[in-house]
Amino acid sequence: MQANQQGAPKACRPLGHPGQAGRPLLEIGRRRRSSAPVGFAGRNIISIADFDRDDILHTIAVARRLEEQPQPQLLAGKLMATMFFEPSTRTRLSFEAAMQRLGGQVIGFSDAASTSAKKGESLADTVRMIEQYADVLVMRHPRDGAARLAGEVSRVPVLNGGDGANQHPSQTFLDLYTIAKLFPGLTDGSQRLTVAFAGDLRYGRTVHSLLVALCHFGVDLLTVAPPGLEMPPHYLDHARAAGLRIEVVDTLAETIRRSDVLYMTRLQEERFPDPLEFDHVKASYQVNAAMLAEARPHLRILHPLPRVNEIAPDVDRTDHAHYFQQAANGVVVRQALLGLVLGRL
Amino acid sequence: MTDDGSSSRISKVRQVEAIANGTVIDHIPAAMTMKVAHLLAAAGDQVFVGVNLRSSRVGRKGLVKIANRELNERSLSSLALIAPQATVSIIRDYEVIHKGQVAMPSRFEDIARCANPNCVTNHEKWPTRFDVVATEPLRVRCHFCERSFASGELSLI
Repeated sequence: MQANQQGAPKACRPLGHPGQAGRPLLEIGRRRRSSAPVGFAGRNIISIADFDRDDILHTIAVARRLEEQPQPQLLAGKLMATMFFEPSTRTRLSFEAAMQRLGGQVIGFSDAASTSAKKGESLADTVRMIEQYADVLVMRHPRDGAARLAGEVSRVPVLNGGDGANQHPSQTFLDLYTIAKLFPGLTDGSQRLTVAFAGDLRYGRTVHSLLVALCHFGVDLLTVAPPGLEMPPHYLDHARAAGLRIEVVDTLAETIRRSDVLYMTRLQEERFPDPLEFDHVKASYQVNAAMLAEARPHLRILHPLPRVNEIAPDVDRTDHAHYFQQAANGVVVRQALLGLVLGRL
Repeated sequence: MTDDGSSSRISKVRQVEAIANGTVIDHIPAAMTMKVAHLLAAAGDQVFVGVNLRSSRVGRKGLVKIANRELNERSLSSLALIAPQATVSIIRDYEVIHKGQVAMPSRFEDIARCANPNCVTNHEKWPTRFDVVATEPLRVRCHFCERSFASGELSLI
């Protein structure tokens, strides 16, 4: 009888609940197969990985319509609550401008110190309380995943304005909108763009999210980053699997010569244990006007801002500079997102 | 039939006591044996442990027998996370009434902490959730912070 315990099984079906394993790492566009966009009304905007190509194209088209035909009363009677648990100027003001330009109103806080979180209130309770006051929540929080948690708690749509080092989807939508506006061939498939990412590609959440989104569109990608700050391999593997051609290049000068879009990111001093090394790297990751002499005439430089040293002020006066227009696009893209999740578009 | 034949079966019988009723967890990676025993056995359970037993399938393996208890869903999920290749046998009156590999769930809920120290689940009282993104080797992705981890990087709650 003892041998029975080690003997042949009477049945070989797995124990426990069955499941589907082996899904792709980033699960882009996993939610559906249909080409018709899912209704946006009531939907949370948490992570760019939750959106497929049709969602992105729909958002871009809506933003373009709003830019061409402003709708100053679209969200009249609607109230947006901004919950900014850490400081932000451009994201908060951009969302507030978007809401007010659509006729909506805004309440909120811009510092966790002025909330009950300081008294030990849980994030879930803070969300449950504020959702009673507003039709839509926009949240920035220092913890990764905070927006996903808020979205699970809230009965009104939650828009992620940045959760720690994780996601900042409205930035990605505006980056794509900007590129698509500059190069319509990106979205209609008539042009294969060369997009370059430069700077801190390891910790920069904007380039990670943009890469995930670009996987829906055929582009060639160049990356240039200081040692130790390269793009994490799993992002590159995923992008290659999605059909992107990726090349790691050695110098910023080479990316400038070969790119249609150069997406710069800020190098943060705290990533470098040796201040001397930071000074050295900083100098080799700065674009200036003289370097642009060999650029393609239509090259456009983007940056999520704020910039520090990586783009010299003399670039601002060239036709290649496009980062301030990019920031301006944030308002119309956030108008589109607000109008969509509130069911008015 | 064991994967190491009848002679080692005899050896195993000598080393690890048979149980009349309960659960046998076999083919545990040797290094994980004590962790599995600690995880699955409740206080007061009669537990028999074999470590570094020979196995043609996994090299050195561990074996844990828990008397008078059949594992619940939560225990099976935990086992799938830390020893996905283990096999589980349910024993009733010395008979194996069911034997099989633990099913890999598509999602692990509230059984492990996220290894990202900045994940919101490490700062708020909120159940963790991991989606399985690859099985060999097992990798999971935190539903909240979106980081992916090898199963060995996670600690159980």
